[in-house]
Amino acid sequence: MSRKWTKLLAIPLLAAMMITGCSSNNNTNTGTDTNAEGGNSGATNANATNASEGKPATWIADRKIKGLVFMGTDDYTEEMNPEIKAKIKEMTGIDFEIEIMKAEHSIDGLIAGLAANDLPDFVAFYLNNSGRPEMPVVLKAARESMFTDLTPYFKDSKVYSKYLQDDYLPIDTKFGVMFRPEFQGSAYFAHMNIQRTGGQVTWKGVGGPYIRKDIVDALGIDPRTITSTDQLYELAKKIKAGNFTDKNGSPVMPIGPSYWGGKEVGALFNDLEWGADDQRIKQTKDGKVLHEAQTDYAMKKVEYVQKLLKEKLIHPEFFTMDESRATEGALNGSWAIIADTHSYQEYNQDMHYVPLGPINQADGPYQMQISYKSGYSAWAIPATTKKPEEVVKFADFLASREGKLLWKYGLEGRDYTLDDKGNPIVKQEVIDLKAKDPNAAKKLGFGGVGNNWGDILGSTDNDNMADFGEENYGDNASSGLFPAVEKIATFWDFDKKVKEGVVSDAYQPTAFIGEFDRGTDLKAAFDNYNDSLIQAYYAKSPDAAKKILDNALKQMEAAGLDDYLKLLADKNADPKTKVKL
Amino acid sequence: MAQTTTPQPKARKSGTALRKRIIQHRYLYFMLLPCLVFFIVFSYIPMGGLLLAFKEYKFNKGILGSPWVGFDYFKTFFNSYQSRDLIENTLIISSMKLFLYLPFPIVLALMFNEVRNKWFKNISQSVLYLPHFLSWVIVVGLVQRVLAPDTGLLNQVITNMGGDGSTFFMMDPKYFYQIMFGSHLWKSIGWDSIIYMAAISGVNPDMYEAAKIDGAGKFREIWNITLPSIMPTVVILFILSLGNILSAGFDQLYLLRTPGNMQLSDILDTYIIRVGLQGGQYGYATAVGMLQGLIGLILVVVANRISRKVSETSLW
Repeated sequence: MSRKWTKLLAIPLLAAMMITGCSSNNNTNTGTDTNAEGGNSGATNANATNASEGKPATWIADRKIKGLVFMGTDDYTEEMNPEIKAKIKEMTGIDFEIEIMKAEHSIDGLIAGLAANDLPDFVAFYLNNSGRPEMPVVLKAARESMFTDLTPYFKDSKVYSKYLQDDYLPIDTKFGVMFRPEFQGSAYFAHMNIQRTGGQVTWKGVGGPYIRKDIVDALGIDPRTITSTDQLYELAKKIKAGNFTDKNGSPVMPIGPSYWGGKEVGALFNDLEWGADDQRIKQTKDGKVLHEAQTDYAMKKVEYVQKLLKEKLIHPEFFTMDESRATEGALNGSWAIIADTHSYQEYNQDMHYVPLGPINQADGPYQMQISYKSGYSAWAIPATTKKPEEVVKFADFLASREGKLLWKYGLEGRDYTLDDKGNPIVKQEVIDLKAKDPNAAKKLGFGGVGNNWGDILGSTDNDNMADFGEENYGDNASSGLFPAVEKIATFWDFDKKVKEGVVSDAYQPTAFIGEFDRGTDLKAAFDNYNDSLIQAYYAKSPDAAKKILDNALKQMEAAGLDDYLKLLADKNADPKTKVKL
Repeated sequence: MAQTTTPQPKARKSGTALRKRIIQHRYLYFMLLPCLVFFIVFSYIPMGGLLLAFKEYKFNKGILGSPWVGFDYFKTFFNSYQSRDLIENTLIISSMKLFLYLPFPIVLALMFNEVRNKWFKNISQSVLYLPHFLSWVIVVGLVQRVLAPDTGLLNQVITNMGGDGSTFFMMDPKYFYQIMFGSHLWKSIGWDSIIYMAAISGVNPDMYEAAKIDGAGKFREIWNITLPSIMPTVVILFILSLGNILSAGFDQLYLLRTPGNMQLSDILDTYIIRVGLQGGQYGYATAVGMLQGLIGLILVVVANRISRKVSETSLW
């Protein structure tokens, strides 16, 4: 028996010896390190040498910084250009690498990544505002000490130190995202894409409904005079009567879906919308905060859409069509009116579609809503990362003018030259390559050609005009990459609308749902209302539609809608938590 | 005391016998090993994750270190206004897929068995197996195009026959079950009939010969020989599929769901994804998922017991 036991014990012993023998000798090094805190990738990467003698002023440390990005590959790129990587290494000593976590919805990736608890030196995720679905997830992680407090490192930084100034951050970023009262002065995420100066409109694109120019010309109308849904209805009828056809010779659909697929498009029915179409909460003139379902607007919109559907003036799949078909229809000219698109889109640089409207708001003429400053995306440093100050320093480098020049414009000489004021002039061959073969251009590895890696840590304190003398990449070189943008902006009277616009620094109405005690139920009820509204458009009769909407309202009320609206009124009364109502 | 000590040598004896048998058939056991490892790694170890259903998961504490919350998630689920509809929808859809669908692949297998032209049999079998290899994304895409209002194939046929071709089938709850069941049938029937065909090919041909001598026709042969012979296979497959009664098929339903049919198409699986995972509530999602598994397990055990008593066919 004892021999058998010896044999049995020998097997695991042998296995253990094999595993020990096969593992790398890195372990022995960390074993001697008195600061060893367990095997996380961040720890092994932190082989920083503090020797900065003879190094450039931008030098940080000789180490690797790896980030895990929970955002789409459409928006960010993990393949970096080797020359650009070498330049980063030369300037900072950092071997920078990002990995994009692929998931159907980026939030699924974020949740799985955080739960796995094996994170590299930093993580980045979408976060438009504190009302975004990612917020409760990253907040949970921050509360459970998964992230490093960034404030001590911000103090020593050049750009990020601005985040600590009183009047720099917009209020949602300041009190909703970063310096939440519960964190008592600490901040665990850096909210990105904050503009240096508030109230500026840096993106000159015109978004919203567009109409085919040849149809407008044939009907002899000015699309800018269509400012109400009643006029839109009349126009749709005229289009239908005009028997216009698309590229394939098939009859056009007067109102087609958004370029990006079927969805509710607030901009098209502005005067029938109560609040923004993704919020549906607004204040009445006498100060009462109401949800759309509690007003007449919901039924008015249902009746209007039903009328359009019945008379075949709007595509029957306007709200549900998949993206490929919607885009195909737009490219074929099958939609006389595209419900939503914008002037930067390549298919329309010849302006065969022109902007329609804008349609007036429910409570008055159209006014551009301008955010004082608005954030977009965020990053955080896991608590397991060694020497987090080096990651912050690196982010600070990327956010500096020098860093931005590198990730936005590429390498001096190869991709751009500097004019006498020090502003970059994009090389013509880069512009030509981008126009001819965008994928080959992308391999040059910087933001201007669509290779976006630097924005993740560096796109903040943005002011392109002040930094580079141009609002958009290539403007100084008169690149003509988007010839329609300026023309459409002039046609739409963009500058006047900006001047007359309302600048607000406030929270979205749904931003507080995470802190509301019945938040989960209410969120589900809000989603249900959105779906019910579409269901009501297709109801057999107005009565049936009313019943659907009433049921949806009942569900919202059962989930605490009234208390939530009261909470919004209270929040709005506090200057620190103004709400867009 | 005597009673507890006497069985010991017996146990040792049987243990030794088992060991001997294992050593004797070691190669067979060795071949079984990957399968065992597979189930341990992918089925048994993940079961430990069910602990999450009773815990408030904390990122920094892991599954074991997170605090217990008892049956809180189950209470929340049953108190939610959606739970009744979700369970009802799930049961209706999965029952359709279990009971209503059951005869279809059997009938198809019987039909294939009677086809004598080998060329036609091969072609038609391949055509019917093919949809199994298409993902639900493609199948639902096809369904959407075929059923699209005005421009869809079906509506154009209706228009050409003088009807109103503007029906939005996907948005109308009236057509939801037909679309759901029809697409499921189209995608699965060919593949599911394979196992029945295998069972049919195992039926002793002597029995058919004997029946022919006795003057039985084709239908009599099918009714009295083929069906009773494959009944154990049918019963076993049915019991096994009962375990999935609360999993109505996530991919298909997630993709077929529109605001118009949502009151019928929202099921437990889509709810788990929406509220549990997209909302980051791991514990809650696990609890609802566990509920599905538990009900499935109970049904399998009960059905197996009934089957053993009634038909002498059972899993164990």
